[in-house]
Amino acid sequence: MEPDVSIETSCMIRIAVLPIGNVTPTLLRDYHSMLLRHQTIPLSAISSFYTEHQKSPFMHQPWDSGSLRFKFVLGGAPPSPWEDFQSNRKILAVIGICHCPSSPDLDVVIEQFNAACKGYNSALVKRCFAFSPCDSHLEDGEKKGDNLNLFPPADRQTQEFHLQTMMQDIAASLLMEFEKSVLKAESAGTILKTPLDSQASLSSEEVIKAKKRRLARAQKTIGDYCLLAGSPVDANAHYSTALELARLTTDYFWYAGAMEGSVCSLLVDRMGQKDSVIEEEVKYRYNSVILHYRKSFIQDNAQRVSPLSFELEATLKLARFLCRREMAKDVVDLLTSAADGAKSLIDASDRLVLYIEVARLFGTLGYERKAAFFSRQVAQLYLQQENRSAAICAMQVLAMTTKAYRVQSRASISNHSLSNETGSSHADCGRMHHQSVVSLFESQWSTLQMVVLREILLSAVRACDPLAAWSAAARLLRSYYPLITPAGQNGLASALSNSADRLPSGTRCADPALPFVRLYSFPFQSSQMDIVKRNPGREDWWAGTAPSGPFIYTPFSKGEPNDNSKQELVWIVGEPVQVLVELANPCGFDLKVDSIYLSAHSGNFDAFPISVNLPTNSSKVISLSGIPTSVGLVTIPGCTVHCFGVITEHLFKDVDNLLHGAAQGLVLSDPFRCCGSVKLKNVSVPNISVVPPLPLLVSHVVGGNGAIILYEGEIRDVWISLANAGTVPVEQAHISLSGKNQDSVISIAYETLKSALPLKPGAEVTIPVTLKAWQLGSVDLETAAGKIASGSMGRHLKDGSSPSILIHYAGPATNSEDQSVLPPGRRLVLPLQICVLQGLSFVKARLLSMEIPAHVGEKLPRPVSVETNSTEGTVVSENKMDKLMKIDPFRGSWGLRFLELELSNPTDVVFEISVSVHLENSSIENGKSVEQDATEYGYPKTRIDRDYSSRVLIPLEHFKSPILDGSFFMKDLQSDRTTGSKSVGFSEKNTKAELNASIKNLISRIKVRWQSGRNSSGELNIRDAIQAALQTSVMDVLLPDPLTFGFRLVGNNSEQAAKLDLPKESSASEGSVLAHDMTPMEVLVRNNTKETIKMNLSISCRDVAGENCTEGTKATVLWAGSLNEIIMEVLPLQESKHGFSLYFLVPGEYTLVAVAVIDGATDILRARAKTGSPDEPICCRGPPFHVCVTGTT
Amino acid sequence: MIVCVAVVGHQNNPLYIQSFTEEDDALKLHHIVHCSLDVVDERVNNPKKSGPTLNETFLGLLYPTENYKVYGYLTNTKVKFILVTTDLDVRDADVRNFFRRFHAAYVDAVSNPFHIPGKKITSKTFSERVSAIVKSFGLSSAG
Repeated sequence: MEPDVSIETSCMIRIAVLPIGNVTPTLLRDYHSMLLRHQTIPLSAISSFYTEHQKSPFMHQPWDSGSLRFKFVLGGAPPSPWEDFQSNRKILAVIGICHCPSSPDLDVVIEQFNAACKGYNSALVKRCFAFSPCDSHLEDGEKKGDNLNLFPPADRQTQEFHLQTMMQDIAASLLMEFEKSVLKAESAGTILKTPLDSQASLSSEEVIKAKKRRLARAQKTIGDYCLLAGSPVDANAHYSTALELARLTTDYFWYAGAMEGSVCSLLVDRMGQKDSVIEEEVKYRYNSVILHYRKSFIQDNAQRVSPLSFELEATLKLARFLCRREMAKDVVDLLTSAADGAKSLIDASDRLVLYIEVARLFGTLGYERKAAFFSRQVAQLYLQQENRSAAICAMQVLAMTTKAYRVQSRASISNHSLSNETGSSHADCGRMHHQSVVSLFESQWSTLQMVVLREILLSAVRACDPLAAWSAAARLLRSYYPLITPAGQNGLASALSNSADRLPSGTRCADPALPFVRLYSFPFQSSQMDIVKRNPGREDWWAGTAPSGPFIYTPFSKGEPNDNSKQELVWIVGEPVQVLVELANPCGFDLKVDSIYLSAHSGNFDAFPISVNLPTNSSKVISLSGIPTSVGLVTIPGCTVHCFGVITEHLFKDVDNLLHGAAQGLVLSDPFRCCGSVKLKNVSVPNISVVPPLPLLVSHVVGGNGAIILYEGEIRDVWISLANAGTVPVEQAHISLSGKNQDSVISIAYETLKSALPLKPGAEVTIPVTLKAWQLGSVDLETAAGKIASGSMGRHLKDGSSPSILIHYAGPATNSEDQSVLPPGRRLVLPLQICVLQGLSFVKARLLSMEIPAHVGEKLPRPVSVETNSTEGTVVSENKMDKLMKIDPFRGSWGLRFLELELSNPTDVVFEISVSVHLENSSIENGKSVEQDATEYGYPKTRIDRDYSSRVLIPLEHFKSPILDGSFFMKDLQSDRTTGSKSVGFSEKNTKAELNASIKNLISRIKVRWQSGRNSSGELNIRDAIQAALQTSVMDVLLPDPLTFGFRLVGNNSEQAAKLDLPKESSASEGSVLAHDMTPMEVLVRNNTKETIKMNLSISCRDVAGENCTEGTKATVLWAGSLNEIIMEVLPLQESKHGFSLYFLVPGEYTLVAVAVIDGATDILRARAKTGSPDEPICCRGPPFHVCVTGTT
Repeated sequence: MIVCVAVVGHQNNPLYIQSFTEEDDALKLHHIVHCSLDVVDERVNNPKKSGPTLNETFLGLLYPTENYKVYGYLTNTKVKFILVTTDLDVRDADVRNFFRRFHAAYVDAVSNPFHIPGKKITSKTFSERVSAIVKSFGLSSAG
């Protein structure tokens, strides 16, 4: 069997093309391709070379439309045993090709050519074409005879023209030879035999039959020649005769041959035009051809020779003729039967040819899977021949099948779609993706795919093509590792290494092997080197352009709402960058990656290779770094990996597709997941642009970058050192704060930074920052407590409660190359790692007040000072403790009011508390208030040991205003006046606000500072607690009662009674009263308001049991003067007296209390008394005074 | 005897291939099923103009190969069912019937809420049911 047969093969003149002398394969191919242009020589073109020696047997030769067809057999072919049967199998001409420069001696060339021609007995014309001869050759050539044709060196066109002429000459010569042959065949009784014919001697009747047969065969041979000579009509006539004769002699084989010839002549006659009628005719006749070939099968010599190959050839010819989509069914039937017949073929090479043809025809038909199937059969046949060239053939055939099985090498894909990919890298992304998804679907025929790859590997090894072997093993391992046993995986790994050993080092392969590489993350700028676009129009150039938070995406950012998947990334020339990739080795052997680095096709990126070891079934995230070298765009499609001795490129996109497929269940397994790595969101490769160098500030906290540990409220300075690590000076810098607890940064020495500008590369500046620790919230406390308990304090830092210092800085405003574009600035985010520890904890605040009743003496309990300049009368003693206890100047009793703070110290250090009260001088209006020159009171420090709690008392004595007037309620009254009674709620609100304001004012004057150790100090923030404690009784603290009462003994001698205001020190020694004695007393009422108060005063006296002693039948005290219903009127800020006398019957302790009911109370008084309704009487009750009565009963 | 049945997804991805022979010819049957997709594709892309076959799911005999006959069936979701049999004279009605039952089994299998469309069918129930259908195919043709 022969490859590439078709119905028209019968009319082709076979010409052997032989290299003569030394012709390199390239040159030979080149000359051959020149010949191929002259496969068809029109008869009209050769008429000039043709001379009719005798009457031509080709009577109907179409000189104007016909042509001769050549089939060039490069390298020649051995004579076929079937030459007699089909003349077109004969080599009818020989063309030698000689390249003169490499074979200078023309004599030798001719000798060689003649020797070569010896093998071709059937050749009618022999020519040797000598190309590129030199002048001496040309001279010689003239005498060498006409077999040698010299082609003088000339341009290609001229040479081709020359060649055309030569070919036409050959054609004419052949035509003349054919005429001779036909005439000879008609006359002479040459015996035409095929291997099919019986070798045995013929019986007598068969001899007669044989004569007729001989005639038929001769007719067929003549027909063949007619066909070769391009005269289909003549051929048809001869074939008809042959058919008739062959049918009579039941010479089926020749009958079929003649029939084939007649079909060919029919087609040639019709000049290749195909219509359905012809198609039907051809189909009909060829079916008959096939049938007759089958009929000619003779059992006797079936072992030796069989017409089967002719039958199959005829089948293929018909199939090729019909091979169109519309006829697919017929063609498939034909091809299937041909393929089925292949098993009966004796010759292996016949089977090979048959499979090749079947595969090709299926391929033409568009049945790529069947084509692939038969190609694989071909490859298997090749592999059965144990030699290298067969293995190479097998490998190449298998390589063709890879497309159908979707296991093709990346190299072959990229050759195909190179134009696509370069032209539209981004726009076609979706389509490419789709394609790859489809191929993922198809890649599930793993059983078939693995077989193909394994056979490629086998054949490549046998063909000694290490690169192909490597590629096949790589594909096999990468795609089908889950289906391969660990032992098999190891085998593939060693196949990879063995192949690599035969390859020169540095060989690249298009197909990646292991490991799987996926993009883990593109670290968007670390906060240390944020790049901020400069807004040239603004002083604060970073505003509005900078990402305003830790989030890459904010829902409020405007523009490009759909394009947020494509992140822009800016890299800077000369600054190293990192990309995190994840590697996975899902196979059962340890993988050593000799080097892996980012592959950038843009050429402006230097990647640093690293080497990695991946143990069995493991994955690893590694950081790959590199330095952008020049301004422009950088694309990083994947990594370049040097593993198993070959350099491959691993594209991120491929692995993404793979993982995508794995997620959909299309791919066998996700290599990362089976290595225990977690599922990762698809990371998109950002657009990376490289910009010119920028300054780069690097910061560190002096004294270590660890957390700054502060107790609540602690104030401390830290120093931050900033250094310019870039190559461009910093010319502007601006500091701002962000994050939580910004108020904990009290001050930043911005001026220090300012004065250091411009900061040259390498220069450093240190700026102090004052911090004050914030209060821990209750939640913080709990978590902190929990953390302390679990012993992981460090974690606490991560909660992001610390503020960050933002430094926006920029280099020179213009760079030298481009004046128009402002280079971007940068932002340094310096998170202050402040760890606030719980300091003193505040438990509660309480207002303590107590009154110690005064004794009624001869003198009034002295007001602390009645006049500012008199100090002798003050009760304030030198004793420190006594200082805390003040006599209320107007109430007449010892009044004590403390703010008690309960503090506990849960820490492990000692705290010392100091309280200071700041007084407002301005508030002291009329000098009657407590006045000591110091505006601050210092109190002894309180020390709280660790794990103890303690109470700190803050006296609240200095705040009372001396006069009860409207100023306190001013707002209240005004609002009442303006809005009337309509807005009571509003006025109440105002009252409340006023109250709060005054409390705040009060609180702000109290400062509680603490100190711990040598360098920790701070202030307790307890405002809220104090406020809560004071809320209810602030009026009592701040305001005096409207009336104050006092009792005193009037001296025994009544004349002293007149000198009320000047009690004598001497006589007023002890306020003791004798029983059974009339004791004159007086009650003093002072009006603390600015209005005159009318009142109804009553005095009561009670004994220790609380019984009223002046009333009832058992009264123990007699009295003189009036005790009840005393009507008094006291002028503003004045005092009145009322005298009376008591006669105590029983000695003991008595208590005197004055009560006044105020008539016609003003609003101020009502507000002070907190009365509900305006009708309620306002009752002022004085403090109790003790009277100690001595004597006997 | 049915030697192999297969379900092939609409992207020509195998969803289920089960052979019913003792010999180790899985690869060969895979090849046969794989090759049959060519014919299915061709039938789908060049539908016959004749009316009745317009909505026909049964594709008929796809091709005979060696000792096998390959039948095809195309669901309206473009899922292909392939049947490989060694019986040389098979009645079309039998094959149609087989495919109809097979289709029902397939529909039940993919209606499982835990089945991911496009993924290989791993349901044991399905394969048991298919085995039963395959066995009964032999019986009904005999009877």
